Amino acid sequence: MTHFTLSHTTSADGIRLYTLRNHTGMRVTISDLGATMVNWWAPDRYSREADVLLGFERVEQYAHNPAYFGAIVGRWGNRIAGGRFELDGVAHQVDCNEGQNHLHGGREGFHAQRWQVQPDPEGLRLMLVSPAGQAGFPGTVMASVLYRLDDEGQLRIDYTATSDAATPINLTSHAYFNLNGGTSDIRDHIIAIEADGYLQVDAKLIPEGRADVAGSAFDFRQPAPIGPRLDWPDPQLKLAGGFDHCYCLRSEHEPQPGQSRVAQTLREVASVYEPGSGRELRVSTTETGLQFYSGNFLSGVQGRGEQPYAIHDGFCLEAQSYPDQVNTSLREAVILRPGQVYRQTTVYRLGVRD
Amino acid sequence: MAKNPTVHRIALLFNGNKIFDREIISGIGEYISSTRASWDLYLEEDFRCRPQGIERWAGHGIIADFDDPVTTAALEGVQLPVVAIGGSYADPSQYPANRPYVATDNYKMVKLAYDHLIEAGLQHFALYSLPESPCNRWAQERERIFTDLTGADGITGHIYRGVGTSAQSWDAAVEQQIEWVRSLPKPVGIIAVTDARARQLLQACLFAGIAVPEQVALIGIDNDPLARVLTRIPLSSVIQGSVEMGRTAAHLLHQMLHGARFPDTRIMVPPVGINVLASSRHEVRNHPHVMQALHFIRQYACQGIKTDQVADYVGISRSSLEWYFRRELGRSVHDEILRFKLEAAKRMLEQAGSHAAEIAVSCGFTTVQYLHAVFKRELGCTPREYQEQFAAGLERSAAPSAPAVRTKKKTTGPSLLTTTK
Repeated sequence: MTHFTLSHTTSADGIRLYTLRNHTGMRVTISDLGATMVNWWAPDRYSREADVLLGFERVEQYAHNPAYFGAIVGRWGNRIAGGRFELDGVAHQVDCNEGQNHLHGGREGFHAQRWQVQPDPEGLRLMLVSPAGQAGFPGTVMASVLYRLDDEGQLRIDYTATSDAATPINLTSHAYFNLNGGTSDIRDHIIAIEADGYLQVDAKLIPEGRADVAGSAFDFRQPAPIGPRLDWPDPQLKLAGGFDHCYCLRSEHEPQPGQSRVAQTLREVASVYEPGSGRELRVSTTETGLQFYSGNFLSGVQGRGEQPYAIHDGFCLEAQSYPDQVNTSLREAVILRPGQVYRQTTVYRLGVRD
Repeated sequence: MAKNPTVHRIALLFNGNKIFDREIISGIGEYISSTRASWDLYLEEDFRCRPQGIERWAGHGIIADFDDPVTTAALEGVQLPVVAIGGSYADPSQYPANRPYVATDNYKMVKLAYDHLIEAGLQHFALYSLPESPCNRWAQERERIFTDLTGADGITGHIYRGVGTSAQSWDAAVEQQIEWVRSLPKPVGIIAVTDARARQLLQACLFAGIAVPEQVALIGIDNDPLARVLTRIPLSSVIQGSVEMGRTAAHLLHQMLHGARFPDTRIMVPPVGINVLASSRHEVRNHPHVMQALHFIRQYACQGIKTDQVADYVGISRSSLEWYFRRELGRSVHDEILRFKLEAAKRMLEQAGSHAAEIAVSCGFTTVQYLHAVFKRELGCTPREYQEQFAAGLERSAAPSAPAVRTKKKTTGPSLLTTTK
């Protein structure tokens, strides 16, 4: 059962910042610009609060958010090689906003849009209409995101989307976490990921194929600190400047060529523990992929602190389909067709481990 | 016919009698079993390290404890792939030349312990170290870090090295430990460089009637289960990343067996956690009478003590003690004793294979019926149901290992136990 209170403030530009608050006093703020998670105040083992999200000081700053801090990214989260794909025999070219790649919905992506807040008794519901042709994608997409916060410290994100023409779709949350509240980087965080394989990438960070995690720096089936793994000699880590790779999560229904989307049962897929504060983040999702990003491009990004962010100051765990899946044999699973409803659920749970 | 993978003969030079070394070896084992690496491991059968003559050994690679100067010397001229393991040092000349080195991050361990004591509300700090020896350069490194950390905060950090353990002179050593602890400003937070050291000091405090954690909050390093069971007050400790160190060393050696070389690679592994138990749960200052009483209750609750005995120990009347307890804790002395016994019983039930009858006796409940009644009243279940629920909870949260998360308990007033009597 969800217990929460909802309030909001409005900035000079009319951007609204909503606060979800549960009965234990935990607070999450969400902006209608990009449906963005702005702050998440969570207690440590001594019940002291800190904001565990990276981001900007003022909501207006999210109008230019090249790191995608906290945003819902879409309609295509992650990369599409060359910004090109073929759908039902028609070639499409979408916005290439990262060199020759399409990334995170392009410059006109969901993160850059003002969402409409709809009354909802359960939580904060945000809606977006993304017209056909936006960033080059076919079909008008109606997307909805429902954020709910419960007394167990679970922030549940339910995504739904429909389209009036076939389009690729891949929605995710791009929240950056630092569980010590930013007193140091994330190298001492201890991560576990329920995946036996991950996608190796080429120099443009486009997946080339699946590899086993066994024996490599990518093996987090047993919890391990991030920092030492970043120092393991590994060509994949060198290429990406750290972790920026999609894990193939253990799944009940392995995606099959030609098959349309099957959401997995919601299951826990990752956890991150920070020994200093005792905070622990647990991630559950219906998705098959989990992009683990170790904040490799954060250096020099001026956020809400006095000093700009530095490399590895935050991490993201983005539950999604596979990067560039629209150009693989599994493409049908990422196509949303008229009459179908795309559904995805991801839960971030913040607690304390003694 | 499939070709058998090449079997590599690997020597592990460790003193497996220590928890740190054993965990490193288990990390190496974990790595091997997760890969197709086929390693024939050479370890002394008593887990003691005797590296003399290793240079004549016909093997393929070595992972060794470089904190041990004998091992370091024995491996001096060895041409085989060697991965060194040991403590981290601020001074780079402390590391062996031309060897990859996997280090436990001394700075981060001491910092984690120090920050924990600060967060527990302490303002005076001390470190219990070891007499200087070539075998424990890491202890001096931890001293240096402690001095730097306290110095940076403008605080005096007190350091005591004591003496090595020896049965003949142990009484004198304990006297000196007590004298040192007595000389410190109170309340004081003490970091011990190992759990073995922490255990000695904890015992000395109990012997001298110094309240832990009220007067002395204590935290060790290693999270050694043996040190925990040997102390009457559960010992807090920093958990080293030793398993990950083993995996890391095995990964480096694995690459080296296939021709890679990492002469300058140094990988620092941070601590993976802190086990916060009673010895460092320094609570916001209660009245000295209450602190003394709590100290006594913690030690003897399970031996079936009564309120009168607690009042005797503190040296005030029963009614005065009750008054202090009501005011400071919002519950009676009896309830506090019961609360402690109940916690002890819950902990025992959480161990598989424990029986209610034994627990009733060892937690001071006199009869199984009484244990039953208390469980029913306070937890709404029988001891057996509690045990089953706990086991079921463990199964649910089995992966990914480690203790299950508990979302922060709401601190809304005293527990159910504040029954009026």
